[in-house]
Amino acid sequence: MRVEKQIKITNKLGLHARAAASLVKMCTGFKSSIRLHKDEKCADSKSIMGVLMLAATQGTELTLIAEGEDAQSAAEQVEKLFEDCFGEGE
Amino acid sequence: MFTLHGNGVGAGIAIGIARIIHRPGQEIPQYKISQKQVSHEISRLDQAFASAGAALNAIKGQLPAEGIGEAHAILDAHLLILQDPVLSQGSRELIDGQQINAEAALQQHAEKLHRTFNKIDDPYLSSKSADLAQVIDRIQGELVNDQVGLVARHEGNYEGEVIVANDLSPADAIELKRHRISAFITNLGGPVSHTAIVANSMKIPAIVGLHGGVRYLRTGDLLVIDGMRGVVLVNPDEVALEAYRRRQLKILRRTQELNLLVNAGALTLDGVEVLLNTNIELPEDIQESESQNAAGVGCYRTEFMYMNREHFPDEEEQYGIYARVLKQTSSPVIIRTLDLGSDKQVDGGRASGAIVTNPAMGRRAIRLCLHDLGLFKPQLRAIYRAAVHGNVKMMIPMISRVDELDRLFFLLEEVKQELQYQSFDFDPDLQVGGVVEVPAVAIAADLFAPRLDFLSIGTNDLIQYTLAIDRVDDEVNYLYDPLHPSVLRLIKMTIDAGNAANIPVSMCGEMAGDVGFTRVLLGLGLRDFSMDPAAVLPVKQQIRLTDISRVRPLVDMLLKTTDPEQVQSILQRINH
Repeated sequence: MRVEKQIKITNKLGLHARAAASLVKMCTGFKSSIRLHKDEKCADSKSIMGVLMLAATQGTELTLIAEGEDAQSAAEQVEKLFEDCFGEGE
Repeated sequence: MFTLHGNGVGAGIAIGIARIIHRPGQEIPQYKISQKQVSHEISRLDQAFASAGAALNAIKGQLPAEGIGEAHAILDAHLLILQDPVLSQGSRELIDGQQINAEAALQQHAEKLHRTFNKIDDPYLSSKSADLAQVIDRIQGELVNDQVGLVARHEGNYEGEVIVANDLSPADAIELKRHRISAFITNLGGPVSHTAIVANSMKIPAIVGLHGGVRYLRTGDLLVIDGMRGVVLVNPDEVALEAYRRRQLKILRRTQELNLLVNAGALTLDGVEVLLNTNIELPEDIQESESQNAAGVGCYRTEFMYMNREHFPDEEEQYGIYARVLKQTSSPVIIRTLDLGSDKQVDGGRASGAIVTNPAMGRRAIRLCLHDLGLFKPQLRAIYRAAVHGNVKMMIPMISRVDELDRLFFLLEEVKQELQYQSFDFDPDLQVGGVVEVPAVAIAADLFAPRLDFLSIGTNDLIQYTLAIDRVDDEVNYLYDPLHPSVLRLIKMTIDAGNAANIPVSMCGEMAGDVGFTRVLLGLGLRDFSMDPAAVLPVKQQIRLTDISRVRPLVDMLLKTTDPEQVQSILQRINH
């Protein structure tokens, strides 16, 4: 299965170290491959260095592509994490 | 003697001997290896990664069990960086491809990664570069056969010394804490850096962001650290040293003088008794509140339980945390329900493609909670259940309409019935109050007061809403003015409405903990203050020196003037 979603970074700090850490921790729990695309760049969302090097600041639009048996729930949970601003409150 | 300047992040003054514990870029051996040695170097590298990981995990284990602190989250990110194959694989390839030693390979690879980060033109994100550097530093440390972190690598006792470093990681800081150092100064770190957060949590003076200034220092230099002004005096002359010793002594005496007030009553000169409560955030803060002999907790902020984690705490976890706080005090504790979500009403924004730029007026606090009962009900149930362990009241933030209270009370009845039906032990008579922060509530306080058991004025938001000033916007925050007559009038109206309805009115905003405003608030009729535990004794001292009958007519004048000079002169007379 392949699921694609558009995601927007809304928290003030962007995908900084702590946010990236929660993302990576969540993604490694899924069997599917989960990638984040930003313009021509692409990161494996199970790699914190990859995610950090995307340089996703507030307002950045990302495309999430999950492929694998649990792609649907992976995409949904990742989307929710972004919506909840990684639980940071700002 | 010379001086260095940076960002002061901790308060107070420290005088001590410099101890340099690290120099950037130094002592990283670089040499060519033969093809035969490649596998040996790679296994050295792998071993260093593994020991660095073990060390970070061990440090993480020393932190308190509730992983809600910043340091915990940062350590987690560092561990993930360390374990990321991007870091190890790239270094391994360099050892093999260029036939160089592990240290040199790691260094080269790190420099390449840093170059990528440094292209990022965003202060928050480029600080990631510091996270990477701290992780690399730790691995390099392991490679040169040091088994532990930066700090413990240097044997000896640091008590009373000033630690001088290029940068300190949160892990270093936790190790330093045991050494009872008197201050630290670093080249790196800005006001939002992790280093700054660490300094605050250690409660010692520190100066970060010296931008290379550290290289002028030697171990053994005598340093004066002025945390308030962000100044380091290096090998000061007798006159300067003496002046700082006197200031340090003054601060010490002031602390001792205040400590004498711990058991004294909060009574004004004209015999009016005032209640001093604390605002707390973490469960362990209750001990600080108790040590200040506060009347109780005026605002226990619960949103910190929800931050830095993937899933919201469930009812049982919340119940456990509240119960633990309550078992440590016999004084009243006011739990403020979730005040989260200034960024959570993005639904509308996302649909239109816009980022919500005014989150303070969006779907936050009670608005979010009434919208998302799945979020709110577990908290309400946990509070009702925990209430049997102490003296608990519940406080609702961000109310703006009376019909919100109708919905709230309906929900509370439902929660109580469910708890009853499920045979839980709970306190059905819990008092419920509201935070007055939306000006509409202050203006119509007489309509809200009869519906609630108490009111608490949240000045931070009340001021920002009343004056239409975004507090986080640097362009306008000079307009943020607690003494604006409209603000003072709203405070007075709220207090008067509470008195008329015969319910208590307290204040839990920053203003309540600022000694510069204590007399003004007493003059407006406030008798119940809630503040950071550290502010309790200074405010108590001010109260004990205040004659309300003298201050009241001056405060009445403040209610009628908008001229800044006149405001200042009246304030001087009040605080004289």
